[in-house]
Amino acid sequence: MAVPAQYYLLLSAAIFCIGLFGVLTRSNALIFLMSVELMLNAANINFVAFSLQHGNLTGQVFALFGMAIAAAEVAIGIGIILVLYRNFSDVDVTKATTMRW
Amino acid sequence: MVDPTWLATAPALAFGAAALVLLLADSVDPDTTNATVLGGIAVAGSLVSLAAAVYLLYGGVGIPTGQGGTGPAVILGGQLVVDQMALFFMTITASVTALVTLASVDYVREHAYQAEFYSLVLLSATGMSLLSAANSLATAFVAFELVSLPSYALVAFLKKNRGSVEAGLKYFLVGAVSSAVFAYGISLVYAATGVLRFDAVAMAIESGTVRTVVDGSVQAQASGASVPMSILGMGIIMIIGGLAFKMAAVPFQFWAPEAYEGAPAPISAFLSSASKAAGFVLAFRAFAVAFPIDALAGSGAVDWFVVFQVLAIATMFIGNFAAATQETVKRMLAYSSIGHAGYVLIGLAALSATGDGMAFSMSAGMAHLMVYGFMNTGAFLFIALAEYWGVGRRFEDYNGLGKQAPVACAAMTVFLFSLAGLPIGGGFFSKFYLFQATLNVSAWSLAAALVINSALSLFYYSRVVKAMWIEEPTGERTIESYPTGLYTAIVAAAVITVLLIPGFGYITDVAFRAVELL
Repeated sequence: MAVPAQYYLLLSAAIFCIGLFGVLTRSNALIFLMSVELMLNAANINFVAFSLQHGNLTGQVFALFGMAIAAAEVAIGIGIILVLYRNFSDVDVTKATTMRW
Repeated sequence: MVDPTWLATAPALAFGAAALVLLLADSVDPDTTNATVLGGIAVAGSLVSLAAAVYLLYGGVGIPTGQGGTGPAVILGGQLVVDQMALFFMTITASVTALVTLASVDYVREHAYQAEFYSLVLLSATGMSLLSAANSLATAFVAFELVSLPSYALVAFLKKNRGSVEAGLKYFLVGAVSSAVFAYGISLVYAATGVLRFDAVAMAIESGTVRTVVDGSVQAQASGASVPMSILGMGIIMIIGGLAFKMAAVPFQFWAPEAYEGAPAPISAFLSSASKAAGFVLAFRAFAVAFPIDALAGSGAVDWFVVFQVLAIATMFIGNFAAATQETVKRMLAYSSIGHAGYVLIGLAALSATGDGMAFSMSAGMAHLMVYGFMNTGAFLFIALAEYWGVGRRFEDYNGLGKQAPVACAAMTVFLFSLAGLPIGGGFFSKFYLFQATLNVSAWSLAAALVINSALSLFYYSRVVKAMWIEEPTGERTIESYPTGLYTAIVAAAVITVLLIPGFGYITDVAFRAVELL
């Protein structure tokens, strides 16, 4: 194999952490969604890389499921952000504070 | 044997079919707001699911043929397994869904999107039923998302209500992050073991070498690579994180008070009872089957029961102490539901390092979830009734309600005292059983946390009871109607909560056998 497996792990861990950093620091709901996508796709990198490493297709199949579910999640997320915008005239997640945190 | 085998998933199929019927009814007549028909379909679907689950549970699906059963139903090459554990939790899901849909008939009667409401509830319930039977991290992840995605939409369902939208947003944000953490944890477990099926993961851990599944049978990998324990341990911890979100346990409990407070009250009941149980069934199955505690002990991966001990104690204290300081009843119940997640976590925490006591403590957790399914659903449905009447949200607003609605308030008293652990409902016995589980393995810190928090919980639950029965009403309040659906659901939940006192021995027998047969 051309690239050793641990480099894929490093890459996916880096992407996961970038996503997590975005989740924790950004207040724009759309950027938040993109960050979550990064985290989900970090998992997909692992699945595809180790599917090749282990020589079975389980990981690739899971990656397909993962992408489909991520798409569904974004669809719901965009819907919620839309009603957020209608009610609060903003997509800032820190602005919606009618309840005590 | 159920023939054909896939029919053993009938409890899940009934939910799915009813959801599709509702969507069909909605496309035939999009403008209908006929609450009786739409709610009727949803209630009927839930009752069919309940009947199927109880029938299969009694029929001995999952009990080996030698012991008078018909063996577990293995579906899709072992991706789904319907056994006693799965059916036990399918029964909880179906009971809670039936109560919630019945109560919703009155709650969303005036709403324009009733068909969508019920079909989302039923789709989420489909996911919960499937999650009970998931025997692979792949099916677990898909079912997990099938539970989550409709529930995000349900929490934000009152889309002109700022509280509901805010609750939906927060629930979605925390949920999206935790499902990404969950997916990443699964990818690490796959990276370490090469398989996703629970039994295959267990074999990889026990043998210490990577496995592969060929034609349904688990085999050693040709390369003979060993399982990297540090990656596996990391994966297990992240999976616990993903599950903690579903259970509303520390560290992903932040969403719960917001989501339960802002959501329509029947949805709060649904999420805090059924959705929590779904998270726990996956945890029970995954940690009993896929990550054997004795093989992991000293392997350098992770002793997961220690993680659960920390989470259980933290969850109990955070949930109960926060509940004691609340001013609104619904938010108090939301925090108390976090506290109850901590009690049930004892089922995964009160173990010895070699896994002794697992059957006892897990079955105690299961029994508590069963009782909790009724008493907590009932308590939230009482809140739904109060919202329906336009009673305020604070404790004082409940003053003197006992004189105007004695039946509902009596039921609420049963729920609250049972939640606190007084022997007026099944909650006393399930907590006592959990307490025994902690003593069995000398987990003194867990036992102390359970006792302290139960005592504390009696204080804040009785504030509601005191307001309802003892205080005089402060303002003018007129109750115009007594909604049949809500009342039926509340009274049914109360009756079952009380009936679980004599029936508790039976519940624990079924739960104990279910864990032993895993």
